[in-house]
Amino acid sequence: MSEQLPAPDFDPQNYARPNENWICGHACKGHPCRIGPDKRGRCCATAECKPVLKTKPGETKGRWVCTRTSGECESGPLPDGSCCRSIAKCSPVPTLRLIRGRVTLAVIAASCAVLLVLLGNPPWRNNFISPGTISDPHSGAAFAALAVTNHLNQNCGACHVAGNSGPNGLVNVAWHAEPGILDLKKIAFAQAAEPTAIDESCLKCHAGKNVHQPAAPQISCSFCHAEHQGIKMAATTDANCNFCHGDAEKMVGAKVESGKRKAETIHHFADDHPQFRFLTEKLRDPDTLKFNHALHLTGATIPNLPGGVKLDCAFCHSPDAAGAFMRPVAFEQNCRVCHSLQFDPETPELKLPHGSAEFVSAYLRSLPKQYLNLAAQLGKDEDANGFAEKKLAGLRTQFGSGEDLEKRIFFSTATTAPEINVGNVNGPTRAIFPGCAYCHEVKNSRAGAPEITKPILTERWLTQAKFNHAAHANMSCAQCHDAVHSKDTADILLPAKETCATCHSPRGGVADTCAECHSYHKPLGAR
Amino acid sequence: MKRFRRQLFSGLFALIAATAGALWLNAKYNALPNYAYLTGWALLAGMFVLTIYNVRKKLPFLPLGKSETWLQIHIYLGFFTTLLFLIHLNFRAPHGWFEVVLAWLFVLVSGSGMVGLFFSRVLPRRLATRGGEVIFEKIPALRHALKTEAEDLAVGQETKSLVIAEFYPKRLAPFFAGPKNFWKHLVESRREVSALLAELEDLRRFANDTEKEIISKLTALVRQKDGLDYHRALQLALRLWLFVHIPLTYGLLVFTALHIILVFGFSGGAR
Repeated sequence: MSEQLPAPDFDPQNYARPNENWICGHACKGHPCRIGPDKRGRCCATAECKPVLKTKPGETKGRWVCTRTSGECESGPLPDGSCCRSIAKCSPVPTLRLIRGRVTLAVIAASCAVLLVLLGNPPWRNNFISPGTISDPHSGAAFAALAVTNHLNQNCGACHVAGNSGPNGLVNVAWHAEPGILDLKKIAFAQAAEPTAIDESCLKCHAGKNVHQPAAPQISCSFCHAEHQGIKMAATTDANCNFCHGDAEKMVGAKVESGKRKAETIHHFADDHPQFRFLTEKLRDPDTLKFNHALHLTGATIPNLPGGVKLDCAFCHSPDAAGAFMRPVAFEQNCRVCHSLQFDPETPELKLPHGSAEFVSAYLRSLPKQYLNLAAQLGKDEDANGFAEKKLAGLRTQFGSGEDLEKRIFFSTATTAPEINVGNVNGPTRAIFPGCAYCHEVKNSRAGAPEITKPILTERWLTQAKFNHAAHANMSCAQCHDAVHSKDTADILLPAKETCATCHSPRGGVADTCAECHSYHKPLGAR
Repeated sequence: MKRFRRQLFSGLFALIAATAGALWLNAKYNALPNYAYLTGWALLAGMFVLTIYNVRKKLPFLPLGKSETWLQIHIYLGFFTTLLFLIHLNFRAPHGWFEVVLAWLFVLVSGSGMVGLFFSRVLPRRLATRGGEVIFEKIPALRHALKTEAEDLAVGQETKSLVIAEFYPKRLAPFFAGPKNFWKHLVESRREVSALLAELEDLRRFANDTEKEIISKLTALVRQKDGLDYHRALQLALRLWLFVHIPLTYGLLVFTALHIILVFGFSGGAR
C-alpha cells in the first residue's frame, strides 16, 4: 500500500505528465497550467476558473460565482459568466515519448517506402535482393545468349518465378510456395537433397541430369551446386559426396539396386577409400606385345640414343596436347630408332615395313626389285643387276630360300641374331631383329601372310577418375610408375592408392577431395 | 542487493545453459536440409518476444507479469537472440545489399540494446553520487528558476555592481540559458565548469564585500546548475539510446518480413 503513496515532495498542483504526449509550454518556466494540453497537443488553457451560476430561492437571474481552487479572486466572474482572469495560451511541447514515437513511425515509413521503391524497379530490385554474386556461367554473355535461345528471362526470372514479379506478385508467390511459409512441419522434416522446384529451372538448360550410377538417388542440383556464392560457382564438397558414400544404409541400397559386389562407405581418400580395382582384382595388361620396361630403362646392353642420350621414359611417353594424358607409343616414333627392322646384315639400308604382315610379305617377295632400287640410289646403275644378284645370293647363303627367310622373319623368337648395325644407333651392342615374334604374337594363317596380333594399348586404366600428368610435372615418373622393376608387359604400372595418398591427404597437404578426381556427372558422350 | 545478485546469477546461468544448448544443437543438426529455415523461425520467435516487451509496457493494466521480470527476460533473451542470429548466418558475413542491410539493422538494434543495458547499470549509480533525486521532466523548470535567481542577483535592481554586471552577460548568461556540457558530463569531465568557477573566483579580486557575497551566491548557483546539467545529461542518455533501439527494432521487423517473403518466394517458389 505504501508503494502507492505519493512521494513526500509530490505537488498535486504542479503535476508532471511524462507519460502524456504533450506537456504545457509553461512547464519550463515552472508554472504549467493544471489542465495541460489535449492529446493532439493543443493548449486547453482558458481562464483560472470556470464560474458557476448560483441562484438563490426567489431569484430569477442568479449570480456567477468564482470557482478558483486557490480561493475566489477579487474581481469575480464577468457579467456574462466568464472568468475575468484568462490564462495566456502556450505552445505545448512534445515529450520525448512522443518524439520517439514519431521517429519510430518515420523509420517504419521510410523502410516501407525504400523497399517499395526498390522492389518496384526491376533492375534495382534484382541488385538489391540478390543474396550474392551469381556465378559467371549463369550471368555472363554466354548465359544471356543461351537465355534467348531457351526463351528464358535473362535475370532472376530465369530461375525464379518471383524474379519477374513486383511486390504483390512476390507476396503471392511466397504465400503459395512449397513448402509454405507456415508449413513448419514440412520444413522441419524435409528430406535432405530431395529435388526441389528450382531444379526444373536448371533442367531447362541442363536437360536430363546424368548421374554417375544408375542406382544413384535423385539429388537436387542445388544440393551440390550452390549459386550466389561468387563468380566461380562453389566447388562441391566431400560432404555432398558423403551424403551417399558416407552413409552405409544408402550404399547397401545402391549395391542391391546396381548389383555391384561391394558397397563400401567412403569418407576420406586416405582413410577409407578402397584400393584401386586393378590391384584388388589383380588385373593384368592384356597386351600381347612383349616388352620389358626394366631392360629398356636399366639394361646394360641398351645403347644410347642419337646424341648420346640415355633411353628414358620421356623418349617413348610424351604428353598429349592438353598435357593430361600420354600419347600412345608409336613404333615409327618411339621404337624404330633402335629396332630398325634391318634383316640383311650386309645391307643396312634395307628395312622392313611395320604395321602390316601383308606389307612385310609383299616386301620380301619384291626383294630383287628392292635391291635394284637400292643400287640406283647408291649410283650403281651400270651393274644394278649384278648388285642385286650378289645381295640375294648372300641372303640365300645365310637364310636359305625366300620362304625360309620369310619364315624366320615372322616366327623367329631367338634372343640372339646376327650382329646388325641398326639404324643410326651406335654402341657396344645393337638392337637385334631375329623376327617379328621377338616382340609380337605371330600366328600361322592359312590365307597369305602370317597373322600378327595387334597390340592392345589400353589408354586409361582408372576410367572413373580424372588425372592430369601436367599437374604432376614436378614429380619423377618413377615416383608413381615402378617401371624399372617391371619385366612383364602384363604388369600394370600404375601407383597404388597409398602412393597417391602420400600427397593427396591432410598429411601430404595436397587436395584430397572427392571432386579432385571424380565427377558426379558422366561426360555427355557417356550417356 | 541480494535479490539483484540472485537474479543476475539465475539469468546468467540460464543464458549460459541456453547458449551451450544452442551451440550443441547447431553442431548436431547443422546439416539438416532446411536448417536455415528452422534457425530463422527460432530467431523470429526470439525477436517477437523481445518486441512485445515494448507492447507490454504500454499495457500495464493487463495481468501479464511484472515488468521487472519482463525486463530480465528481455535482457537475457536479447543476448541469446544475438547468438541465434549468428547461428542463422552460419557464423559468416552476409552477402548482397538486402541481407547486409538486414544484418546491420540487427547489429544496431542489438548493439543499442547492449549500450542501453550498460547505461542503465552505470549511470544511475553515478547519478546517485551527484546530488539528490531530480525528476527529468522538472529540470527545465528548475533551470529556469536558477536562471531567474542568477539574473536577479547579477543584474537585478538591488545589485549595482559593474564588475558582476559586465561578467554576467559575457560568461554566466550563456551558461544559465540552457543545458550545457552534455558530452563532458557523460565522460565525467568538469573542465568547463571548473574554468567558469575559477573565473568567478578571479572576479573576487575586483569585488567589494557586497559583491563578494553576490559572487558566492552566484558560485553556488553555478554549482547547482552544473549539477542539474549533469542530471539532465545522464538521464537524457538513459532515454536517448531508446531512440535508436526502438525505431530500428520496427525497421528491422519490416525488413524481416520482406526477408521471409523473399526466402519463400525465391527458394520454394522457383519454377
